[in-house]
Parts: sequence; structure tokens; C-alpha cells
Amino acid sequence: MPDSNRQQFQEELRGLEVSALGGLELVAGSLDRALETVQERDIELASMVIADDDRIDGRYLEVHQGILSLLALQAPVAGDLRVVAALLHVIKHVERMGDQCVNMAKMVPLAGHDPPKDEELLQNIGRMGELARSLVIQSGQAFERRDVGLAVDLVRQDDEIDRLNKACFRRALEIGDDPDEREWAMHMMLIARCLERIGDNCVDIGEQTAFVVTGLFREFEDASHPELAPQPPGA
Amino acid sequence: MSVAEAGVTRKAVERTTRGQQVRELGFRAALLFSLSFGFLALAVLLIDVILDGASLISYDFLTRFPSQIFPERSGISSALQGTLYLMVLTAVFIVPVGLATAVYLEEYADRERWWNQLVEVNIQNLAAVPSIVYGILGLTFIVRGALDLGAVLLAGALTLGLLVLPVVIVVAREAIRAVPSSIREGSMALGATQWQTIWKQTLPGALPGIATGVILALSRAIGETAPLILVGAIAFVPFNPDPNPAEGQYSAIPITILSSVSNPDRDVQALASGAIIVLLAILLVMNAGAVYLRNRYEQKW
Amino acid sequence: MQENVTQDPEERQRDASASGAPAVPSTRDGQVQTQALEAKGQKATGERKPIFGLEKVGVAYGGVPAVREVDFPIYQHQITALIGPSGCGKSTLIRCLNRMNDLIPAAKVTGKVNYHGEDLYGSDVDPVQVRKRIGMVFQKPNPFPKSIYDNIAFGPRVLGQKGDMDEIVESALRRGALWDEVKDRLKTNAFGMSGGQQQRLCIARALATDPDVILMDEPCSALDPISTGRIEDLMLELRENYSIVIVTHNMQQAARVSNMTAFFTVELDEDEKHRTGRVVEYDDTEKIFTNPSDDRTEAYVTGKVG
Repeated sequence: MPDSNRQQFQEELRGLEVSALGGLELVAGSLDRALETVQERDIELASMVIADDDRIDGRYLEVHQGILSLLALQAPVAGDLRVVAALLHVIKHVERMGDQCVNMAKMVPLAGHDPPKDEELLQNIGRMGELARSLVIQSGQAFERRDVGLAVDLVRQDDEIDRLNKACFRRALEIGDDPDEREWAMHMMLIARCLERIGDNCVDIGEQTAFVVTGLFREFEDASHPELAPQPPGA
Repeated sequence: MSVAEAGVTRKAVERTTRGQQVRELGFRAALLFSLSFGFLALAVLLIDVILDGASLISYDFLTRFPSQIFPERSGISSALQGTLYLMVLTAVFIVPVGLATAVYLEEYADRERWWNQLVEVNIQNLAAVPSIVYGILGLTFIVRGALDLGAVLLAGALTLGLLVLPVVIVVAREAIRAVPSSIREGSMALGATQWQTIWKQTLPGALPGIATGVILALSRAIGETAPLILVGAIAFVPFNPDPNPAEGQYSAIPITILSSVSNPDRDVQALASGAIIVLLAILLVMNAGAVYLRNRYEQKW
Repeated sequence: MQENVTQDPEERQRDASASGAPAVPSTRDGQVQTQALEAKGQKATGERKPIFGLEKVGVAYGGVPAVREVDFPIYQHQITALIGPSGCGKSTLIRCLNRMNDLIPAAKVTGKVNYHGEDLYGSDVDPVQVRKRIGMVFQKPNPFPKSIYDNIAFGPRVLGQKGDMDEIVESALRRGALWDEVKDRLKTNAFGMSGGQQQRLCIARALATDPDVILMDEPCSALDPISTGRIEDLMLELRENYSIVIVTHNMQQAARVSNMTAFFTVELDEDEKHRTGRVVEYDDTEKIFTNPSDDRTEAYVTGKVG
């Protein structure tokens, strides 16, 4: 009967969405541990983060396969189709963010057991980490609730991460004169860069949210078309 | 008794009971009995006729005129030719008239109108009217009255035509109705007018059915006696019918049979059997033709 | 740019404010859309020419309205699909386009049907000529019980078309993608063909009268998937030279072949007595199937309703 078939389809679709957004939870966890690794310079924790990425990769494959199956068997259209297409993007971003966490964790053994060299740089990175985590959770919420306002708001926090990233760059240059500190600073820069990438991925998830709701795909912030930047919704 | 009855297992398919089988057999036997009843009666009649009249059939029989003086030299030439000529004229009359009526009723008439509904109902009734009433009709309006043709072959053909016309109309309508509307729609969608569609699609498609119907109607007409008597077909005509159907007297085989049978002379009575055989032979050929036409050209939509 | 028939002002507002972006699509969006459409053989909006103009068209059978207030243009050299649940009047409407509703005494057509700017139901218009220029293919293939040759030749013959009949027949069969299969057995009865071939024969038969438009009322619903595919291929070929309007129950088919789609729904009248069909949305097929403007359209195409 068409009813129960359609119901089953809707349930499957919802299941895929829950799975994909659940991946964001996994990423948040990975991020927490990666940041802790940076702060504590815990090599064991670092290898845990690296190993745990398998879970995120597994989630990616699962969702990807589920989407293929849905497309082949159910031929979704209109709103359903947009959700399916968006989920493909979302899970890809989840997987990328997982990789970024791994990259961060990999930095630690290289940085060695030496105490952190610069408080300011560390603080910036900590702040970036907080923002990134908040972005990860918020992007998931925005998608789940189909809240475009919340999605657009991600840009604001990402801008802050970008600002902090630039600040880290300047600071790294400053302390880079000292050869000891230079290497450590380079590693910190790379970590900052990972966090900045995580921020961008979350904004992309926000764009997918807007796409699902409006049917139009528009980049929230495009370097070549700054005039298209959306205004946050008025009060 | 069986494992099934013990309730241990159930058979996958229920078997028929004894009672059911007996009932089935009994039903078939009853049907066969009814069939054989009619069959037997017909067989007895046929055998009797053939035994009586088979010896008479010869070329001479078919080409000689009836003779009251020399019954052993009698023939049914005039009656045979009369019957055949009647059939031809009847066909010429009923085919166009019947077809035209059927086409009008099926293709043009608005079913909602009361006069069309009246025609509908009455055509069925007309087929059930006794043939002698048609004889009276023919006598009153065709032989005398409005047409005033006299007791000629044409009058006989027209009367017989009127008699079987309802049958032709009904059969033709069935045949036309059997042509699916998808054919009509397809034709009209290509730009054909209604008349073009009827002439080029509907009628050709209905033709086998119509032909079969006409033959069956004629085979009914061929055996009608009462109307022919009333419109003046004569039993004893020592000449072949005039080529002009509006002139001269005529005879027909059923008339011959009737008069021969009621004649006291045994030799004349024997003529009847011969005539019956000839009539049956003609009927057989006509019906076989109808069956052949139906099987060969029947349109399976 | 888009032809939304009954979009509420509220819905338009939702579209505009939701993205937080300007409601007017940017030129970049427009360019991308145009490219996508052209890839599908659709002209950009400005280049499409209407061939039919439907103005508040309605059809009633014996006083009971079957479909009403149909108001949209149909474009040349496009395939326009009419979709919707059973009883929404799509077949009734398509039969207005070649005056086949004239054959039903109880049917009455209101409103105006313009064809190349002229009123199709004008008093001096000959329905026979209308059907010469606007051909029709039916749901169940209906070849005549004649030879393949005579089937194709029927239309030209009754219309008194001049020219070499052999050439006319061959040309029609070629355009109908059937010539190679039947050229050696033109005199055999059409009933001997398979269902898919019979339907292609019916299409070729309609092409023989040299029409402008081909109307198709669920042409593939009685056919197997392979035959369906071949007929869809044929439709796409024919689009070059003809305009096609197709009624279909199969949404994937509408999505695959059509350029424009009109979604019909069936509603209870104000007086609560009759169910009447009307058009809810008429737009580029791509839009209907990726981002329809009306919730009813969304519900239907995603299978939640109907």
C-alpha cells in the first residue's frame, strides 16, 4: 500500500538524518579530546583520537550507503530530495571535521613534551576550540530544526574564529624569532588552521540547512561576492 | 479412517465428496437427456422425410414444372425459382433498410429523445409478432391498399422483408456496437467526419457480424408459409416466375409443401418430402455459409 | 520569471525571507539556471513562444463541472506534462485542445482556448481541420483492423491530402521510429504487432496528417517498461518539430521527459456537492520536482497524498 511504503520511506529518511547529525556529536567528542590533547600534551589521548576516527569514517559510509539506497529505490523528489542531497554534503563535512581532529591530535607527539611556550597563542587556540565546538553543535541544531536564522548565525562565530586565526598567525610570527619557539609556534599554527577549517565546515552545513528550506543554494560568505552576504534576520 | 480424520494432519487440498460427485454426474446426465430429446425428435423427422423423398430428387425434379395430371412427372422448378428469387429480392430490400436503421439508431440518434426510445422498444416487439400478422399487413397495404402491387413476387419479397427486418436491425446493431469506441475515437481524432468514420471503420468492422445476421434472417424468411399464402403466392404454377417481379403469379417451396401434403393423392404427397429435402438443403447451405463467414472473418477486438 | 498560478502572497514571503538573502535571484543564479535548462532542450523563459493559450477554461458534463478555471499557456516545441490524482480533469482538459469533447453531447466547454492566437471554438472553425493540426494518441493503443499501411494512410486519405501515399506513409513511419521494423511487412495486419509497436504505430498515424501538436493521454500506461522507454525517447526526438502535451500518472515519466509541468488537484466545491479539478501550479518541471511553490504540489510529488 502506498501509505505504508511512504511511511517507511519517511522513517528511513529520518533515520539517515539522525545518523548524519549524530556524526556531529562524534565530531564534538573528538574535538574535545583533541583540544585536551593539545593542552595536556597527552600522547595516549592523541592516539585514542586517531583511532576513534574510524567511528566517524564508519558513520560516513553508513549514511552514504543509506542515501544511495534511498535514491535508487525510492526516487525522492522536491523537499525529500533536497534533504537527501544536503545529507550527502553534511556527512562529508562530518568526515572532514573528523579528519581535522585527527590532524590536530597528530601534532602533539611532534610538538614534544616541552611546556607550552606562549600563553597568548595557547589562549587563542583554546578560545578557537570553544568556538569550534559551539559551531559543531549549533550547525547540527540548525539543520535538525530547519532553522535558517540559526544557520546564518554560524557565520558570526566563524568570523570570530577567522579573526583569532589571523591573530595566531601574527603572534606566531612575533615569537618565531626564537628558534626553539619557532617550531612549536608552527605546530600551533597548524592546529589553529585545523580549527579554522572546522569552522568553515560548520558554516557549509549551515548553507545546506538554508538550501533544504529555501531550495536555493547560496554561499553565506563568498570571498568573490561579498555583497551577497546574508544579513542576520532582524529582531 | 484416514490420517486427516484423526486430526493429526490436514490434507493440503480438500477432496471432493462422494455426494458432490454424484450430483455433478446427475446434472450432466439431465442435460444430455434434455438435449437428446430435441435431437431425437428432429432426427426422427429428418429420417422419415429422407426415406420418403430421397428417391424423388433428380435433375428432372428440380427443373420440371408441377403437374396435377402426371404427378410422377412433377417437379418443383417454379417453386424453387420462386423461392430463390424471393430471397434475392428480400435481401436487396432488408440490407440497405436494416443497415440504415441500425446505423441511425447506433450512431446518430440521441438516446434521450422519446421518439428514439419508442423506436428502440418497438423493434424488439416487432421481432416477436406472429408471421401471419405480417401476411395481413402485406395483403392490406402492399398487395392492395397503398402500394396496390397485386399478388406479385415483389409483394411477397416486401412482406417477408418486413417480417425479418427487425432481426436484421437487431443483429446489425449488435455488430455495430461491438466495434469498440476506441476505433471511432481514433478515427475522429485523425480528422475523419462521423460519416467517414462509419463508412470506413465502423461498417467494415461490423460487416462479418452483419453478413451473418442477414443470412440468418433470410434463412428464417425462406421457410415462412403463412404470410406468403396471404399475399397470394400460388401453390400450382406451371411456369417460372416472371423476371419482372412486379408482374405475374409465382410460387414458393413452402407453399408447395403445404399444398402437396394436403392433397389426397399419395403421389402428390410424396412431392412434399422431396420439396422438404430441397428446402432443408438450401437452409443447410445458407447456415453453413453463415458459420463459415463468422469463423473466417469474425473480428476479435 | 516563474508562472506560479496560485501562490499565496504568504508563500512568496516565506520564500523571500527564509534565506535571509535578497528575494530577487542574482544574475549568477539566473545564469546557472539557464544553462541547466538549456541542457534539457528548454529555451530560457524569454525565448519560449506559446502555442496554446488557455483562459479560464472549464468543462462540465451535464452541468456538473469536471474541471474549471484552467489558465496557463502551453509553449511550442516543448513537452508539457499534466499530472495530478485521479479525477482531477487532466484527460478532460487535454481533450479540449483538439475538440474531442465535441463528441460527448453532455460536455460543455467554457472559457477560451486559443491556438496560435485564434479561438479554437470559434463559430467558423472546422473541428476536422483542428484535428488535422492537433493529433491525439490514446491510453490503450487503438490501431485499426487494417494493414499497417492502411492505418497510416487513413488520416491523409480522409483528409484528401495530396501527394504520393507511399512517401507519406514512409515519412510518417520514419518519424515515428518504426520504419525499420515494419518496412518489410507494411501490408500485414496491424493487430499482429506488439503493444509497444502498436502505440508507436498510433503515434506515426497521428504524424501522417502533418500536425503541429501531438496530445498524448497516458500513452505508456498500458505498456511494459522497455516500450515505455522507447516511446519516451521518441517523444524527445519529436519535440524538435512538434509540441507535445502529455497526461501522465507516472511522475517519474513527467520528470524525465517534460519541460513544463502543470499539477492538477481535485477539490470539493464551495457548495460542497461536487468535486472539481483545477490547476494548482504550472512551472518548469525542474522546479516542480526540486522546489515546488505550493504545499499541495509538494505533498503530491513526494507521494504523501494522492
